[in-house]
This record gives sequence, C-alpha cells and structure tokens, in this order.
Amino acid sequence: MATTTATPTTQSRTNTLKLFRANLQTFALVGALLVIWLFFTLATKNGVYLQAQNFSNLFRQMTITALMSVGMVLVIVTGNIDLSVGKLAGFISVVVAVFQARYWTRETAIPASEVHNPVFFILGLIAVLIILAVASRWYRQQEAKGSKPSQYGFPVVVVGIIAVTLLALWFVITPLVADLTGRVLTALVLEGSEALTTTISVIFALLLGVFVGIIQGFIIAYWRVPAFIVTLGGLWVFSGLITLVTEGKTIPANQPLFSGISQDYVPPTLGWMIAGAVVVVLVYSTFTGRQKKVRYGFELPPIAFDLVKTGVMALVVLGYVYIVNQYNGIPNPVLLLAIVAVVVGYMATNTRFGRYAYAIGGNREAARLSGVNIRRNVFFIFVLMGFLCGVAGTALASYVGYGTIAAGQGYELDVIAACILGGTSTLGGEGTIFGAMIGALIMASLTNGLQMLNVQPGYVYMLKGAVLVAAVLLDVQLKKNR
Amino acid sequence: MTHDTNDIILDVQHVSKRFGGVTALNDVSLQIRRGEIHGLCGENGAGKSTLMKILAGVYPHGSYEGTILYEGRELRLGESSIRQAIEEGIAIVYQELTLVPSMTVGENIYLGKEPVERGSINWDKLYAQTKDILAKYRLEIQPQAVVKRLGVGKMQMTEIAKALSENARIIILDEPTSALSEAEIDKLMEILAILKEHGVTCIYITHKLDEFFRITDTVTVLRDGKIVTTRPTKELDQHQLVNYMVGREMTERFPKGNRKPGEVILKVEDLHALEPDSEREVLKGVSFDLRKGEILGIAGLMGSGRTELVMTLFGEYGRINRGKVILDGKSLDVHNSRAAMSCGISLVPEDRKRHGLVLMQSILKNISLANLDRFSNWMRIDENRELSESQKFAKSLSIKTPSLQARADSLSGGNQQKVVISKWLMSQPKVLIMDDPTRGIDVGAKYEIYRLMNDLAEQGMAIIMISSELEEVLGMSDRVMVMCEGHSTKTLDIKEASQEKIMRLATGLE
Repeated sequence: MATTTATPTTQSRTNTLKLFRANLQTFALVGALLVIWLFFTLATKNGVYLQAQNFSNLFRQMTITALMSVGMVLVIVTGNIDLSVGKLAGFISVVVAVFQARYWTRETAIPASEVHNPVFFILGLIAVLIILAVASRWYRQQEAKGSKPSQYGFPVVVVGIIAVTLLALWFVITPLVADLTGRVLTALVLEGSEALTTTISVIFALLLGVFVGIIQGFIIAYWRVPAFIVTLGGLWVFSGLITLVTEGKTIPANQPLFSGISQDYVPPTLGWMIAGAVVVVLVYSTFTGRQKKVRYGFELPPIAFDLVKTGVMALVVLGYVYIVNQYNGIPNPVLLLAIVAVVVGYMATNTRFGRYAYAIGGNREAARLSGVNIRRNVFFIFVLMGFLCGVAGTALASYVGYGTIAAGQGYELDVIAACILGGTSTLGGEGTIFGAMIGALIMASLTNGLQMLNVQPGYVYMLKGAVLVAAVLLDVQLKKNR
Repeated sequence: MTHDTNDIILDVQHVSKRFGGVTALNDVSLQIRRGEIHGLCGENGAGKSTLMKILAGVYPHGSYEGTILYEGRELRLGESSIRQAIEEGIAIVYQELTLVPSMTVGENIYLGKEPVERGSINWDKLYAQTKDILAKYRLEIQPQAVVKRLGVGKMQMTEIAKALSENARIIILDEPTSALSEAEIDKLMEILAILKEHGVTCIYITHKLDEFFRITDTVTVLRDGKIVTTRPTKELDQHQLVNYMVGREMTERFPKGNRKPGEVILKVEDLHALEPDSEREVLKGVSFDLRKGEILGIAGLMGSGRTELVMTLFGEYGRINRGKVILDGKSLDVHNSRAAMSCGISLVPEDRKRHGLVLMQSILKNISLANLDRFSNWMRIDENRELSESQKFAKSLSIKTPSLQARADSLSGGNQQKVVISKWLMSQPKVLIMDDPTRGIDVGAKYEIYRLMNDLAEQGMAIIMISSELEEVLGMSDRVMVMCEGHSTKTLDIKEASQEKIMRLATGLE
C-alpha cells in the first residue's frame, strides 16, 4: 500500500524538481527582481516604491533600452554585437525631432536654413537602397554561380563607396533645394493634419532604422567585417550625424499627438479589455495546445502544471493592469514594448529565422552544413535590430520631448547589460528575450529605487556595475555545479 | 630493456568515482608495471576517460574514493592538481591536441616553463634543449617549425615531446590514432617502442582493437565502470577482447547485409576541383559511379582528398573546374548544402562535434535543424510535428536518452553520431554520404550503425562511406574506390579487394 502510493508522488516530485532545475535561471532572475522590489518597498517611506505611480514610472523608464534589448538578444545569440544602437536611436530621435519641429510646425525655434531637409534625405535614402538592392541581387547571383569573392568583390566595394558618397552628397549640397521642396510640400499637403504628419515622422524613423540596419548588416554579413568593428564605426558616424543635425542645439518635439506616443496612457477600461483578451488567449492556447499534443499521442505535462503556469501568467497581466490603472492606466510605451517583445520572442522560438539564429551561435559550421544561409540570417537580424532602434528612437524623442546632442548617449551599454543579466551568453547560442526583459527591469528597478533613496548617481553606477558582474559570476558558478 | 616484472609504478586500489547519482567508476583496482605499454579498452562510457582524468589530476584527490599509489607513495593531487600531476611525471596526450597552432614546436614544448635569464627568454637555450629532446627519442620534427603547418602526426609527436620535456614517467595516450593515417600510425608505434626502451610507461587507450595486439604488453578491459579483466596481450585475441568489452558474444563485427545494387544513380566523371579561395587543385580527376542500394567505400590516406571530394559533391568545398557530376540522369550543379539537400544528397560530416552538432542545443533541435522547412507553415514551426517526426527517427535508430529535450552533449559519442545520422536521414536523401561514420565510437554503437547502413541500402538508398579503417571498408562495402593524392585510382569489387591491395593503390604503388 505504502509503496504503491509513494511511487507516483516521488516521480512527480522529481519531475517538478527537473522542471525547476531546467528553469533555474529564470526563477533566479524573477526571484532577484522580487527581492529588489521588496527591499525598496521596505526602504522607501510608506512603501511608495511599489505604489501605482512609481510602479507605472518604473516600467516606462525601462522601455527604451528594453526595446533595443529585444533585438540585441538575437544579435548576441548569433555571436555578434551591436555597439551602435544607443547612438543610432539617438540619431533617429534627433531626426524625428527635426521633422516635428522644422516641418510640421511653422513657429519654430530653428531657422529654416540651419537644418538639412529630411524630405530630400528620404529621396537620398531610397536611391541608395535601390543601389544596394541591385548590388545584393547581383552579388547573390554571382555567389550562386560559385564565383570567387576576388572576382566580384571589387565591383561590390565600388558600388558601396558610390552609395555612401551619394548619401553624403545628398546631405551636404542639397539643403537649398531640399528646403524649398520641404516648404512647398508642407504648405500644400501636410499643413494642419497632425495625425498625418506624426505618422510620416514615425514611418520615416522606422525606415531610417531599417536602412541603417541594411547597411551595417550588409557589411557584417556579406563583406565579413566583424560586427564589433562595423558597429563601433557606426557609433562614431551616428555621433557625428547627431552633431551635424542638431548643431549643438535642442530641437523641440512636443506636439501633443507625437508626445502621446511615449507619455500617454491606455485608458483604464481599454486596459482591462486588453488584459481580458490576453487572458482569454492564454487559456485558449493552453487548452488547444494540450489537445494538439493528444492528437499526436504525446505524453501530457500534468494538468496542474499547465494550469499553474497559465494562472501565474494571467495573474501577472491582470495584477499589472490593476496596479497601473490605479494611477493613469498602462503607459503607451509599455504596451508597445510588450507587443514587440511577444512578437520577436515568438519569432525567436517558433520560426526558422529564430531557430537558425540560435544554431548559428551554437555552432556555425554545423548550421552551415545543415543548409542554413548564415549570411542572410545575420543580415536580417541586423535589419531587425535597426528597425527596433527606429522604434526606440521614436519613443525616445516622444518621451523626452526634444532631440539633443546627448540623445541615446551610453544606451548601448544598458541594452547589452540587460541581455547579459537576462542570461544571454556572450559566446552566442544562448539567451531569451524574456530574460532580457527581466534583466532590463532589474536594472531599471535598481536605478529607480536608489534615486528614490537619494543615493548619489556615482554610487548608482557603481552598484549597477557590481550587480552585472555578480549576476554573471553566480551564473557561471551555477552552471559549474549542474 | 628488461624490467623487473614486479616493479609496480602505479597501483590503483579500490577507486570509485560518482557524478551525482551516476557511478562512473566502481571499485577499480589496477596495477601498472614500470616500462610497459598498458592498453585500456572498453566501450564509450565504460570509465576509461574518468580513470585517466583522476590520474592526470583533472579530478583532484578527495573527489573520488580509494587510493592510488604512485612510485610506492600515495598520490594526492590537490589544488592546481593538473600542474601537480605533470610535475609528478604523469602526462596525458589528449585526443584533441592542446597545442598553440601559431607557435613553433619549441615554443609549445616549453610553454609555461621557458628558460629565463634576467627576465627574458633565452631562445637559443630553448631551441637547443628542444633539439636534444627530439633527438633523444628520435622524433623527426624541426624545433623551429610552426605547429599549424605540421601534419596531425607531427603535432602529436610535439605533444609527446612536451610530455617528455617534463620528465614524464607515465604517458597516457587517449585515442592517439583516431586522426592519423596508416603511415603516421606506424610512426607512432615506432615512437612508443622507443619510449619503452627509455623505460617510460605508457597507458594506451584506443578503439582500434588491432593496435592493442601491435603494441601493448598488457590489456585491461573496463565495462560499466568496473574492471572486467587484466591480462597479458599474448593470451588474448580480438574475438575474446570484443566479448570482454561488450559482455556478450559478438559473432561478427560487420553484419552481413542482403543488398542488391540496382541502377546507377550518381556518376562522377573526371572531376577536378580547386580549393576554396585559392587556385590550388585538390581534386585531380575523380571518376566513379554509385548504384542504388549499394555501399561504396572510399579508401585513401589522410590528404588523399576523400573529405574534399564528398564536401565538393555536397556543394560546401571547392569549385569544380572540370568534369561532370550526374545525379539521376541530370547534371548536378550545387553551390551550398541547401541546394545539395534539395537534390537529394545528405552528408554525415567527419567531425561530429565541429560540423555535425550544435552541442549546447537539445537533441530534438539538432535532429530537426536541417529539416525545419518541412515543419513550417508559412512562418510558424509546427513543434508537435517536429517532435513526432524526430521521435520516429530517435526510436528507429534507438538513440539512448531519457528525453529528446536533453542537450546533445549529454550523449555518448555513438548516440551523438546517431543524432547526426537522424538529421540527415530526415531529409530523405537518395544519396547518403557518410564521412568516417564510426570514428571514435564504441564497438556496440559501431555495430548498430553498420546494421542501419545495411537496412538503408536494402531499402534502396545509395551510400558512400569514407573510412580510415581498412577493415571497416572491407567489411561494409560492395565496392571500394581508392583515392591517391587527389585522384581516383581504381574501383575494386569487394571480392577482389584486400588490405594489401588497397594500401598499394592508396600509396601509389599500383
């Protein structure tokens, strides 16, 4: 009697233990986050730290770096790095600010002649994009024919140089023409329609990000210059562009609709509706997932396990909405981040694109021999990274309300730190977007809490550094003992 | 030359070692006499490597039970135990070489113990000492040669010289011949004899059974962490040795298939190809044909272009500058592995750790990696289908693992190889190329892979098998194509093939 009842219990216990062990890193991260929250709640007066207003701010503060961390995880997973993200987002935020300040409003602090015209800049970009598209198509044909790089490398380099020169020309010699076109366009078409102008700003920001991603990705993936070097170069180029565009001045970008992107909130009722929809989808997918497994004749995980998992996720969503609704509702950028993280997270685990990225980072040679097109995959990861920098840059401009010379300064390090803290291996092949999000949240929680306790910024930096190193040290130790 | 037969240099007494719940070594006792060559034999996972790692200090004293007497004293390797083991005179030459490729032979030998005078390295002294060591043991390498330009055999000599420079009294050789050509193996055997003359004790681990009979004095067989037997080599034969290893009667090493080769599926005519990114011709005229349902063995020495040939057919190596490849009546023109796969060619690569597996990923992901296209609906991967298909292969190849979610590096070599084979069978090839499919795996797993190859051929698949072991080529193939210096010499029918014949063709004597 005793033995028959004991066996299943011990088995389920070892199963639970196994599941726990497998997800140790995730639990450790979430645990660390909860400890940090608990500490600051106890340390701040009346537990102000975790009250609705600060809780809401906490999440919003992390969004800009976290948006970029989503892409950075995949970049690092493939064994690459992107050092240019901070400055790129900064550059994009400045350009968006120029759009907002210079073209969509008449009364502006900056005289027309001082800023280069982004409309013409767009045309320049499109021209270069076309050149690059043609070049890459031709390049791929050559590759398919099996020609040697030395036979087609030279023309490709020439095309690249021409493309960059053209871009520079558009920038330098066309402000006059551009200015005129911009004025006419503004006067004729866009005057007065804030929805339209804001949309154009945002689309342009995203396109700019994608464009930079294409250039950097192309150089890294197809010309095989190490990502570290290409993006280090990019960092300086974007610093230079920021200086050129701002000319050291602050460019306001504070039109109501545009500011709303990062500063407004989802109305509480809508917030509840979104939360409800998420919960319904969660429950539905859990049950259909089980049904599908049954159809394939797989062994099902215990129902209790699935229920707890779904329940916890649902509670987190509902709890979050409950708390932030006591203040103003879900901050727009947090919702944006959630959507981006879920979509890219899904891509990372459930599409070939994502799977290949992990395989490339895990063993490049094995991936290549398994028919993975490594160059194309790495290229598109940098394009995605650029796109996300576009998103982050827009959010940044909207959040701070202006474009300055310091925009995005040092963000790349926060972005990388969030990934590493979240368990991404610097050697490639390992890392999750969920982990990076928790990593970003831990960093934001620390900074926010220490500021509330009026700790000097110097100490805040030191503590962040120490936490990062300590976390990785702990991870190394845990892996050794496993 | 003669040594006291009772002069025991190493006495392992009741050693056990556990990893968590797994017992890797169970009450192992073993005596090794001074100056002998002691063979250590057993399937993968039998505990050979664990035992050697204890001796080499990878697992320090206290992490195992039992005692080890070395030169009559108890061996207690503590902190920085690997260094300590070397100082004690126990050196290990690993399967994967541990040299710095960009350094010279001399620099490598004295790495970490360079002769220093007044804070700077005395290079003349370093090279003079290197030369002395090399001369003493008759190792034919240049002290100033850069290691990466040497062949594998000479790299191994360097490694042995490095051990000798530390006054090693026991040298452990872990699978030293797995990457060597026949000629290099002969050379290694000579070196071992020279070491023996100088009274150096060797522990010799290998999967190639004939080598035990060529060189060792005593053989110890391990199975499942226990010593099965220790006997003088003279009293053993191959058949007995295999039985000790697997613990069961194994009637034949190569299962006989019932293959009926059909029509020609792949025809290669006078193939010439250049090395990637250079103008050097590596394939200088290869011709052969391959039939449905047959196993074609490709034999040849290291550097004869065997691997280069199959990688070129797979679209991942050279550029073809002359000759034709015809698959199924159509000219084959592939420039990457994806294209080769879609034409129906699969390749199980030579080095499974470097080219076959993503070790840190799950078995499941490794099996499905090359086949994700089949499980994808537009963008999404159908994970249920992926799992159920992979399970079919895991089951039919009997991959031994508690779960397909386990990491690939948790498997033994034989099971890892089965994962690689599963991956390539899943793409349903017409032609399966296997580059040294049984390299470094144990007898039992080898047998299973041979049986699988038979089954596949009987079902009509055309298989090309490269092998460094002549016995394997002779045991498994229907025909043998012999390569020599980048060109094909002759395709022998298995009835007319023999080890001598193949060697003569491979060395260009015929």
